[in-house]
Amino acid sequence: MPTVRLRDASEYPEPIQKLFEVAKAWFKHDFADPPAMSRVMAWDPELGAFHGRAMKRAMTPGEWTRAEKEMVAAVVSGVNACAY
Amino acid sequence: MADDAPWYEAALLVGVTNALNVVADSPLESLEPACPSAEADAVFAEIRAFYDRADVPTAFRRVAADPGYLADLWGATRRVFTDNRLTRRHKEALAFAASVTTRSSFGTAFHLSEMRRLGVGERGVMEVLGVTQMFSSYTKIADTLQLEPDMGDIAAVDHSPAPGGSKPSTRSAEARSLQAP
Repeated sequence: MPTVRLRDASEYPEPIQKLFEVAKAWFKHDFADPPAMSRVMAWDPELGAFHGRAMKRAMTPGEWTRAEKEMVAAVVSGVNACAY
Repeated sequence: MADDAPWYEAALLVGVTNALNVVADSPLESLEPACPSAEADAVFAEIRAFYDRADVPTAFRRVAADPGYLADLWGATRRVFTDNRLTRRHKEALAFAASVTTRSSFGTAFHLSEMRRLGVGERGVMEVLGVTQMFSSYTKIADTLQLEPDMGDIAAVDHSPAPGGSKPSTRSAEARSLQAP
């Protein structure tokens, strides 16, 4: 169980709620609620913006495809024993 | 990569990568035989050819005192790094990411050099490093807050059988019939 109460999307300011919609497009998945990580990163929008842009830049297809990069991400998450 | 096969491949690769790294990064120089046996030398020759290099990577030299073990370790390594569903180039990138994440000096340097040898440019290296760094951040944020997985249903479940096996529905039916009173 999370150590903090994850806020519902409706508890965030409107500009942030729009970003949650962007996340759906990024993942090409219609989440019922924004993923927990999206809601956590939105807690501090200034950090979230930098971090989110860096992540998007890293994950955008370049010399590697998005799928290849997702697998790198999965390996890092697995090695870090991160269930999330 | 919608089916499970490449993910099995990636996981097996990470396991073998870590096995090599733990030995290579440990203070085990004294285990390296000064004069490897002819059997070990034959395996070394295969390793040099596979990596197209004059020397034998540390991880293999450390276990050369047991040529049989060396041969099997090498066989497993060659298997997981050979082109299959995932390309060797991509596999080296995954091994690099796993090595950076586990702070393996040997693995990081070795797989970086292999990526470059296989044609990955500086941009490609930076892309892998960026993904590794970003997800090293996300994972620790998630762990600190003990977030529970909520994105597991993005991908469909792969119901295909194990290689050479039969479909799960058939086997399940058989198992159920055997358990029936």
